[in-house]
This record gives sequence, C-alpha cells and structure tokens, in this order.
Amino acid sequence: MRPITAESALIDKLKMAESSTEITFKKETVSKLLSSFFKEEKTKVGADAVLLMAEMLHVFVQEAAQRTIKQAEAEDSDRMDIEHFEKILPQLLLDF
Amino acid sequence: MSTAMDEEERKLQRLKAAVHYTVGRLCQSIGEDHQKEFSRQVIAAIAETTFRQCDIFAKDLEAFARHAKRSTVSVDDVKLTARRSTALSNFIQRKSEEIASTNQEQRDIRKKSAGKRKNKETEME
Repeated sequence: MRPITAESALIDKLKMAESSTEITFKKETVSKLLSSFFKEEKTKVGADAVLLMAEMLHVFVQEAAQRTIKQAEAEDSDRMDIEHFEKILPQLLLDF
Repeated sequence: MSTAMDEEERKLQRLKAAVHYTVGRLCQSIGEDHQKEFSRQVIAAIAETTFRQCDIFAKDLEAFARHAKRSTVSVDDVKLTARRSTALSNFIQRKSEEIASTNQEQRDIRKKSAGKRKNKETEME
C-alpha cells in the first residue's frame, strides 16, 4: 500500500465522483462560524474569502473521511470505527 | 440569570448542528462511493473535529488580516491558512481562480445588460 500522504489523498479527492463534490457548506454557516470564533467584533470576512473557506472545510472533511476509510481498509475492516479515525487524526491535524 | 450567555450558547449549538448535518451528508456520500459505512460515532467525531478546526482557522485568519492592517479577512488570508501542504495550497489557488472568474463572468453579464439599455455607449465601443 502506498503511504497515505496529504498529496495522494487530495489527488484521489479530485478524481472523485460528482456527488460528494456537490455537498457543500452553506456560505451563511461558514460566515457565522468564523465570526463566532473571532476575538474582535470588528473582524469580518469578505464574500470570496467565505466561499474559499467553505472549500477548505469541504477538503478537510473529505480528507478526514477518506483517510479513515483507508485506515479501515488497511485493517481489513468493513466499517469505519472510531479507532480508525483516531489513528489518522494526528496526521490530519498536522497537514492542515 | 445570564440570558445573553444562553443565547450565545444556543447560537453555537445551532452552528454545531449545521456543521454536523453537512459532515454527515458528506461522509455518507463518500462512504457510498467506497461501499462502506461510517458509524454515527465517527461522523460525530469528524463533525466535532471540523468545528474545532474552524476555531483554529478563524484565529489564524484574524491574525493574518490584522497583520496586514485590515479588519476584513481576504482571499489572501485564506490562502495562507492552506500553506502547510503543497497539494492543498495548489487546490485552494485553483478554487480562488474559479471564484474570481465566476465573479468576472457575472460582472460581464451585468455590463452587457446595462449596455443594452444605453445604446449610445454600445455604439461608441
């Protein structure tokens, strides 16, 4: 098995079927989400930046999901369980 | 009774739920592609992680904007948050170009319909 790197997982994502590409975070959600975490009231997010952050989050979730699948497959498991996710979590956080 | 805090808490819960919803749909779709299923626990864990990652992203974005002496987070700030992985930053770069070209298309469409109303300007072009 080739090593699961950020590169290979992302390349797989780009080859993926349309369906999961169409499911996106709503821009209102992204905007409110980011705003809720800002330390200063005056900080706002530009419209294009919101769209781009929605893409970032989309990739983040796809990475998390796909790496968990690969981990489960590497362990010959049919289902994705929490242990599989826990094993890929450290590298996921480092890659982002 | 701190109702202001309760309202804040409710807002946060609604946001968490919204994230959880989209994460769930995404995981289901990706799982279907691989003919596998995500346990509810895993989906909840991915949703929670995504939520917390937003906090990190938001703090970074705010810091980058402030560093550039702006109060509005820009596309450049977002690109900076994608700096750790080459594939990721290339992907984000492409997406930002798509967004920019969509904006340009919309501007062109608006210009055209404005041009049709002012015939003289159109002839001069």
